[in-house]
Amino acid sequence: MTNPDADPMEALFAEARANPPDPPDELMARVLADARAQQSVIAAPQRSWRLLWRGIGGLPGLSGLAAATVVGFWIGVAPPEALPDLAGQMISGDEAALLQSAPELTAFGWDIEEG
Amino acid sequence: MSFDDSIRDTEDDVNAALLLRYATGDAAAARLLVTRLTPRVFGHAMRVLGDGGEAEDVSQEAMMRLWRVAPDWRSGEAKVSTWLYRVVANLCIDRLRKRKPGMALDEVAEPADPTEGVEAQMQQSARRDALQAALDDLPDRQRQAVVLRHIDGLANPEIAAILGIGVEAVESLTARGKRALEKALGDQREALGYTT
Repeated sequence: MTNPDADPMEALFAEARANPPDPPDELMARVLADARAQQSVIAAPQRSWRLLWRGIGGLPGLSGLAAATVVGFWIGVAPPEALPDLAGQMISGDEAALLQSAPELTAFGWDIEEG
Repeated sequence: MSFDDSIRDTEDDVNAALLLRYATGDAAAARLLVTRLTPRVFGHAMRVLGDGGEAEDVSQEAMMRLWRVAPDWRSGEAKVSTWLYRVVANLCIDRLRKRKPGMALDEVAEPADPTEGVEAQMQQSARRDALQAALDDLPDRQRQAVVLRHIDGLANPEIAAILGIGVEAVESLTARGKRALEKALGDQREALGYTT
């Protein structure tokens, strides 16, 4: 303990440290009310993200979505031999090749059914 | 690192964890943060401003800023207490600048008159009033530095971060402030209960 006669200032500081002014109860209540109100504001956008996250099926859903996107992109860039290389033909502007590919695109007979 | 510094670091880790929980909507974390931090904020504002009403306003505003920053808080980048003290210190400075000269002293309780009965003057409350009155007479920055160092018990580097000045400037402010307090209270030594 500080000896007040040895260092009166330090004794005064120690006394002040040991007896901090008490915050009024009304202040504590107001600060808590602010805290809870702000928590509702913070939680609102988080709830929207959580709904979207649940909607796509969480992490497994997101993994599947990412895998499908990558595979689809790759098929576009390097299609299997059985499929026409539409992307390459469009980029090169090869209209004849595009027309040649047309029968392959109508192979399911959709154009015939439509009349 | 001293024992006190180590305890303060642990407390700040707890505050940061509570703030993260607060941001997820945890009501218990909100209550704990209010009870842990509001008394410190109010105590500092009260010592620096010397006025209960203004100290309440500043405390509520400082805590409101903490609630708002909670979702973006990144643990490890700053201490919650240092950040909060900086906010309070700036709010106090804003208040002090808006005051008319002499306004604060009119609103603060009168310190005990040393010529009154010695027994009453030796009371703890009289010493606290005398210290507060002497603090109120210090220049604003000196008062803030003295309160942070000697009453809130912070280390000089932390005070430097809070006030946005160098450590040497903090040392100078606290040394000059303490000397000014000693001088102001020197005449009341006996009245305040000190025998030498």
